[in-house]
Amino acid sequence: MFALVFPETALIGLLFAAIQFGAMIYLASLGETIAERAGVLNLGVEGMMAMGAVAGFVFAIETRNVWLGLLAAAIIGALVASIHGLFAVVLGANQVVSGLALTFFGVGLANFWGTDYEGVRPEIQFVDVDWGALSDIAWVGRILFQQSPLAYFAVVLGGVVCFMLNRTRGGLALRAAGESAATTDAAGHSVLGLRLFAVACGGALAGMSGAYLSLSISPGWTVGVVAGRGWIAVALVIFGAWKAGRVAIGAFLFGLALALPNRTESFDLPWDPILWSMLPYVLTITVMIAGAVALRNRPPAAPAALGLPFRREER
Amino acid sequence: MNRQLQLHKPILVRRENLLKGGQPLAFFVGLCAALLLGSFILLAAGDDPLEVYQRMLSASFGDLEAFSVTLNRAIPLALAGLAVALAATMGLWNIGAEGQILFGATTAAGIAQIAADWPAPLLIGAMIVGGAIGGAVWALGPATAKAHIGVNEIITTLMLNEIAIRLIRYLINGPWKDPEGFGFVQAPALPEQSSLPTLFERTHFGLLIAAVVLVGLGVMLSRSAWGYELRVAGSSGTTATYAGISLKRKVLTVLVLSGALAGLAGGIELTGNATRLTETVSNGYGYAGIIVAALALMRPSGVAAVAVLFGAVQVGGQSIKAIGVSDAVSTVLQALILFGVIAAGILIVYRIKFAELGNQ
Repeated sequence: MFALVFPETALIGLLFAAIQFGAMIYLASLGETIAERAGVLNLGVEGMMAMGAVAGFVFAIETRNVWLGLLAAAIIGALVASIHGLFAVVLGANQVVSGLALTFFGVGLANFWGTDYEGVRPEIQFVDVDWGALSDIAWVGRILFQQSPLAYFAVVLGGVVCFMLNRTRGGLALRAAGESAATTDAAGHSVLGLRLFAVACGGALAGMSGAYLSLSISPGWTVGVVAGRGWIAVALVIFGAWKAGRVAIGAFLFGLALALPNRTESFDLPWDPILWSMLPYVLTITVMIAGAVALRNRPPAAPAALGLPFRREER
Repeated sequence: MNRQLQLHKPILVRRENLLKGGQPLAFFVGLCAALLLGSFILLAAGDDPLEVYQRMLSASFGDLEAFSVTLNRAIPLALAGLAVALAATMGLWNIGAEGQILFGATTAAGIAQIAADWPAPLLIGAMIVGGAIGGAVWALGPATAKAHIGVNEIITTLMLNEIAIRLIRYLINGPWKDPEGFGFVQAPALPEQSSLPTLFERTHFGLLIAAVVLVGLGVMLSRSAWGYELRVAGSSGTTATYAGISLKRKVLTVLVLSGALAGLAGGIELTGNATRLTETVSNGYGYAGIIVAALALMRPSGVAAVAVLFGAVQVGGQSIKAIGVSDAVSTVLQALILFGVIAAGILIVYRIKFAELGNQ
């Protein structure tokens, strides 16, 4: 049916890119989901992704190994996130303010660090996986089985996080810290420890999401490479109602919305591509309003203690 | 168990009384800490921190002309900071000042196109008021959604920032593309009479507008019944409802007014500093305004002072490009100042005590 209307290759290209962008944004969103489930809103995703992007690229170039680049991006992401951990979790500063300051810090430091690497030829990048016979299947092969290794990594990680959050004691404790910190504390868990861990995990994932950009999607470092996608990652968590599985579905939809603006001509779509580039943001607002209307008389999906600092003596 | 090793663990103990004069002290300590951390980053990159800081200082406070440039930067920062602080009195977060500034500037630019032949005072007035209205319009959606169905305003205002910047990109590339731009993608130049007159040196009249708004709103918030109601509503929604204060209406008016303040900054930027509408007309003032407001503890009186400081850091950041240092330093410094002051602020409320470990 579609093939009659659209050129086949364009549609395959669109779906390929949707999964590519979707997997990239999913890594960051998954990280933010973990942090928010533990009760910490981190608006620093944009900054952590920028740091991950520059760290991934620099380390990959210097060590000539993309995987070491990815590892460096994860570690740097976690370290940067821990600044938010220190201020928002340990010192109990306002999470919105601390997170925004983290975006400033991360974006600024990434631009500063990347000055010498701007325009450096990316001699090394992730090579798309060849799954043999699977990759040769018409349509499906190109869309699903010729992606960057990071795409499969994101899917596997999503499954692992889902399992850890919902089926393990540690995951239960982490979620409890986001619902009722005092109860979690009374049950003998360290709320601060759980939250710091969750924030660092979120940072590591955001860092890897940044490295996905600088080592796979658009190899190299340029100022503004993250281009507001960190904000989409934050919105996606709300879109997915704080559930790792639903966030994955949302990530694919947002991936589609991110991939579409560059391809409007092949699909003969009306309007300027720039107008189409507003789609992810319009989609987020629409979904939030629709969600609020639909869930009017139901309890909110957000973790109950999201955004609230915890200090033991103030229980 | 015999304790042979005396282990001491630092813990925070709440002070019985807040440290006197603590806030200015915390600000000073935090600022110094930020500069110190910043100098480590500069050293790591092989730059000379003293040279960088000295250049930043002389470019922003060196003489009257430098200071007048700093003041120009402080104007949008102060208005954006005020927008955030106003919303915060009701416990609301306006993260969308950036988009409201952009749409305010867009509205002002639209007015300039329609009324290109109006006399200067009329045109400038219309553009600035138009900017404020544009900002209010841009905040109206999130405000209505928050007031009536409780949609989180943080994300909706944030998303509208991204939409606003793309709207300008679209206008510049399409409907508003300069026909005399020789193929350059840019908006047409603003009419000559649309630029705000200068007050002294490089500072334009926007300073007066910002000062009047700042003082006026500050007085309204602290002295009027309206301001009192806002603060009651901000500290406890239930109390406010019992007292007969309509929460919905307050949320709506405060967020829209907050948008108008940011939009006003957009109108002033366009008439005061820009020659045409660009994507960078706001320059991140909306986001920086949030940090400014936080540093000012959400008080209008503090917003002005912090805005001047941040204006100086930004102007200084531009100046160090001349010695080959990235202006990203100023973005890092702005974040470090906030972190530094928060950390130092902890010492007002707490003191550090060294507790002995292991004597259970």
